[in-house]
Amino acid sequence: MEANVLEIKGLVKDYPGVRAVNEVSFEIKRNVVHCLVGENGAGKSTLIKILTGACERTCGEILLNGAEYCARNPKDAREKGISTLYQELNVVDQLTVEENLTLGLEDTFCGFLRKTDKVKKIIAVLKDLEPNINPKERVGRLSVAKKQIIEIAKAVAAETEIIIMDEPTAALSESEINRLFTIIKRLREKGVTVIYISHRLDEIFTLGDYVTVMRDGKHVATKPISEVQDRSELVQLMIGRTVIESYIPKETQAEEPLLELRNVCNHKLRDISLTVNRGEIVGFYGLIGAGKTELARAIYGADDYSGEILLHGEKLGGTPEKAIRAGIALVPEERRTQGLFTLLTIKHNISAMNLKKISNLGLINTTRERNAAKSYIGQLNIKTDSMDKETSKLSGGNQQKVVFSKCLFANADLLILDEPTRGIDVGAKAEIYSIVRELVAKGKTIMFFSSELPEILNSCDRIFLLYEGEIKAELRNGNDINSQDIIHIVTGGAAS
Amino acid sequence: MSSNCESTISRGYKAKRIIKEIYAYVILVVVVAVLSMLKGELFQRGNFLFPANVANLLRMSVPILMISSAFTLIFITGNMDLSVGSILSLTTVVNAILVLNGFSFLVSLIIVVALGVLLGTINGFLVMKLRITPVIATLITMNAYQGLARYLVPPGISSITNTETQKMPEWMGFFSKGQVFMGLSWAFIVAIVLLIALVILQKKTVFGKYLVAAGGNRTAAELSGINVVKVVWGVYILLGAVSALAGVARASYLLIGEPYTGVGAETEAIIACLLGGTVFSGGEGSVVKSFVGALIIVCLTFGLKSVIPEYWQLLAKGAVLVFAVVLNHLLSKERIAS
Repeated sequence: MEANVLEIKGLVKDYPGVRAVNEVSFEIKRNVVHCLVGENGAGKSTLIKILTGACERTCGEILLNGAEYCARNPKDAREKGISTLYQELNVVDQLTVEENLTLGLEDTFCGFLRKTDKVKKIIAVLKDLEPNINPKERVGRLSVAKKQIIEIAKAVAAETEIIIMDEPTAALSESEINRLFTIIKRLREKGVTVIYISHRLDEIFTLGDYVTVMRDGKHVATKPISEVQDRSELVQLMIGRTVIESYIPKETQAEEPLLELRNVCNHKLRDISLTVNRGEIVGFYGLIGAGKTELARAIYGADDYSGEILLHGEKLGGTPEKAIRAGIALVPEERRTQGLFTLLTIKHNISAMNLKKISNLGLINTTRERNAAKSYIGQLNIKTDSMDKETSKLSGGNQQKVVFSKCLFANADLLILDEPTRGIDVGAKAEIYSIVRELVAKGKTIMFFSSELPEILNSCDRIFLLYEGEIKAELRNGNDINSQDIIHIVTGGAAS
Repeated sequence: MSSNCESTISRGYKAKRIIKEIYAYVILVVVVAVLSMLKGELFQRGNFLFPANVANLLRMSVPILMISSAFTLIFITGNMDLSVGSILSLTTVVNAILVLNGFSFLVSLIIVVALGVLLGTINGFLVMKLRITPVIATLITMNAYQGLARYLVPPGISSITNTETQKMPEWMGFFSKGQVFMGLSWAFIVAIVLLIALVILQKKTVFGKYLVAAGGNRTAAELSGINVVKVVWGVYILLGAVSALAGVARASYLLIGEPYTGVGAETEAIIACLLGGTVFSGGEGSVVKSFVGALIIVCLTFGLKSVIPEYWQLLAKGAVLVFAVVLNHLLSKERIAS
């Protein structure tokens, strides 16, 4: 019973220029729920990828039941006894629920599909998790949460010795989470070991037997949950220091509406009406798939919508080009693919949204281009040895600062930030928060879309809560705000 | 307000779904109806729908019906094969050469289909192993195979045909022109059998399901342990073989080895698939509806030929393609169920 099912010894993974996993060693006991926590970039995902065969280790040893373990690919890993529930949704929209569940596991007769007991068993697992899914429904028609449940069912039905769950609850509602927990507990009774990764620390205390903390690619601690005093001990282990910025209320001033949305509807959004005042930081919080990105894109004119969006009382044109001219800029969700021209240099990126400002009669004045770049590199503290460096070679935080510069150079009054701190390290995050505050102090208005509650609570004056494309509640930030209530609302609970 | 929103969405979704299911058939009926009202010189008895006319049309269009059916599969995987027309040209020429040199029908058929398998294997190799973008890779082979087809025809003549010493045997035309059942040929019956086989392949086999997975979400397919390279490569080989089979039918219909006979066949196959509701980005498509799409194309080609000049026909085909693509795009936007 107490034997280790998995032993990791001196595991290292090098990527060009970065050591993502650095000499990690720890053991996982059989028949427990073993939680793995750490901030973004702590090396959890890389560790998981090595276990599932999605990438190769640089050096080190992994022992599964005392024998050397090395998976060539996810299927190989599953056959050796480790199945995984991935963080990204890996379902095929065009297939039905049933077809997705059996993908890669089909029973066949001369290449023909057969419906055997195995299929029925997998469907039974799904019914157990979520009775309201019709196995014949096309997956493309299901919500993100239901897609996630299909993946959970698939991982559970594989009946391997170890199941890895990478943030399985990120898109689930409360009742779905409870059902998942019941399933996990049942799995543990059956002798399965679950490696559970989550950012929600409460879940770790409810569910976990052991916890391993990672930071900057290194192993920090592994201990039984019963020996962890409270959340703050865990947070301290994760962050390494206890500095957490807190919200500073804004001085009240006359409210002057800047942006107004009236009954905005589209494929995702349902009847959104709201007002953003000048000089405010307005937060939008919701889970993945709640419609945050869609709302940001609609305001920016990148997506179609019905209803009205007014800036300074005038209707917006519905294209990004017109939005930029009106003084709106978007810092998009995907920095590398949507925010930057990664093959161009820093200076080319900074001026990209407003080339008129640096050109005469269509010819670019390179002196002005360099001056602009120089000024923003100084203002936003972009760490680089040259403005002629390709942006692909910068770190995440510095890339994001280039995106900010680009938006500011476009003379934006209203900045829409969609997940501005995703995938950047703690230090850079703090810098982004202070940039946001500085900008507001200079008279800009910020709309802050995020799925990380702490940063919303730290930065925003007013907070809108989104669930399934609808605004469920509007809150004014302050000392009396209750994060439990917020989680309750954004996971589908009724607003109080 | 929000509940109102939902019901319109799901009602709209259902309507779209139904339109998507039936519009290929509706277009076919409309085209046939319009053509049967026109009086064309080439129509026997001046009527498009005269049975002998229809049978003749179906005998003539076997190659495009075959290729379009199989082309659906390459679309489902999210790939492209521009070389089918050139494979058709090349295999038509090779088949004619073989028959002229005394090979029996069956032996030449086997050799030609094997050649198609080889050509498809080359396409698959370029796309899946060398990772060349499908359009570029098959554009290269399209030109290469076409060049080879022209090379095989001796200089000074335009096609493989009877010479002083060699004559095409009398059975050459039987496969495509012989009337075995209600005026239909063996080749047409083979095309129908092929259609049924492809439907079974798509709906009932693991391979058919993996096609959708590979085209719908390649990452998910790979994480589920599916060998996407093998699956897509397999479709290229299948399409090569079917195009070669079409070449045998074409040679039998023409009675000569015409090296340019396949020019434009890839365009017709693409239009047929799009008319049949196949999604350009992969994951969705129906073999039967592509077959119906191909019928629309041949009706238009044959029907318009007797009514308007050739340049107008090309333009008309272009217009149909635009129509098909736009309709396809409008119908394929998916909504989330509430």
